[in-house]
Amino acid sequence: MDKIFDVTYIFHSIPLIAKALPLTLFIMILSLFFGLILGLLLTAMKLKNNIIINSIANGYVAFIRGTPPLLQLFLVFYGLPLVVHSIGIDINDWDKVVFAIITFSLNSSAFLSEVMRSAYLAVDVGQREAALSIGMNTIQTITRVIIPQAFVIAVPNLGNLIISLLKETSYVFTIGVIDILGKAKLIGANGYGVRQLEVYIGVAFIYWAICLIIEKMISLYEHMHTSKFLKNNADH
Amino acid sequence: MIEIKDIHKKFGKNEVLKGINLKVNKGEVVVILGPSGSGKTTLLRCINFLEKADQGELSIGDTNITFKNATKKEILQIRRQTAMVFQSYNLFHHKTVIENVMEGLTTVRKVPKKDAEEISKKMLHKVGLSDKYNYYPAQLSGGQQQRVGIARALALNPEVILFDEPTSALDPELVGEVLSVMKKIATEGMTMVVVTHEMLFAKDIASRVIFMEGGVIVEEGTPDEIFNNPKEERTKEFLKRTASF
Repeated sequence: MDKIFDVTYIFHSIPLIAKALPLTLFIMILSLFFGLILGLLLTAMKLKNNIIINSIANGYVAFIRGTPPLLQLFLVFYGLPLVVHSIGIDINDWDKVVFAIITFSLNSSAFLSEVMRSAYLAVDVGQREAALSIGMNTIQTITRVIIPQAFVIAVPNLGNLIISLLKETSYVFTIGVIDILGKAKLIGANGYGVRQLEVYIGVAFIYWAICLIIEKMISLYEHMHTSKFLKNNADH
Repeated sequence: MIEIKDIHKKFGKNEVLKGINLKVNKGEVVVILGPSGSGKTTLLRCINFLEKADQGELSIGDTNITFKNATKKEILQIRRQTAMVFQSYNLFHHKTVIENVMEGLTTVRKVPKKDAEEISKKMLHKVGLSDKYNYYPAQLSGGQQQRVGIARALALNPEVILFDEPTSALDPELVGEVLSVMKKIATEGMTMVVVTHEMLFAKDIASRVIFMEGGVIVEEGTPDEIFNNPKEERTKEFLKRTASF
């Protein structure tokens, strides 16, 4: 009676899985937000001329890049309550989602800081000199001249990181948070698990659709902005 | 009035400025010539502290400072009295032509937007780019970009405009349009210090020509004195090698 593979079940499962989509997006967006803030701080530390500050920032990034995100999630989930307990705070009642957001903020900040740092350095040194020569101070130079140009340079790489972040959120089911992948797993377990392949294909479509939207937004932005900022030709 | 006394600058072990004295009076156009490595660009960049000189004194207008102990505030003061035109133009890529010219006025001098716009339009008209207000630098030719750079400097009405090889990166055909703008502002009385290889320009526009080599001033004088009656051997050598006049 039942087929081995039921294509219609894929489309049947998608709306069910999508009920967890708000949570997936919530984790992704908040992690991105905090990751950007922390990433900015790391970038500033890396650009400073102080070897101690540099080493702290680079050491942090090296650790994050050198360990699997799933492992980092476990370290935060199991380790943070213990660390915080030692100074007398009990966070065992915290929603598990918080641990996920903390992990992915810390994780993405490392990669974001590298993207921001290279974008900052890619801005032509003459821009800074021109700004200084008309009497701008350091803050004005950075905020009005360098960062606007660095941002445009960074956007394609930022887009890649955002997509990576989206996919990393799928790890949260290991700590019992039901995101879209977790939901797919649950639905797939119904009916003795015969429809697992269909639900996983279904959730794959959802990830893919969101990635497409993100990519489209990035390329729209690039299209609108980069034509003006073509690298200066000496003369043409 | 700009005066530099006994300026020294080393890059690592390489002493690039070996004790130069320079005085520029209001309305003068001083052209600095010399081979690569003579220190002429470094000298210019030390004036607005894009390079930090090791030793010496600088006075511009009412501001008197030493290079070594200049405070951030003093450096800003100096920069607000000078403007620079760069070899690679260095226009703000993310801003339009008019925004480029207005930026120094609105952000640095706190001039109200309307007034800044008016001044900027006047300056752009002076350099012949009234029809390009809303263009981005990437949409302009090199000569046009450099003229915007000059307008940007003019808008600030500085004590002196420093020109760092303004035409060196330009197609030969575009050099003329920039030089004629420079001639125009020179005849209007702007004080200018120009590092250039354009000998004919120096002959035509300079009030004074300085020949630098190896970190010192070898000879200085009027264009007539330098080009037609050089006294120093090294000056004669240089002029012979660059025979373009």
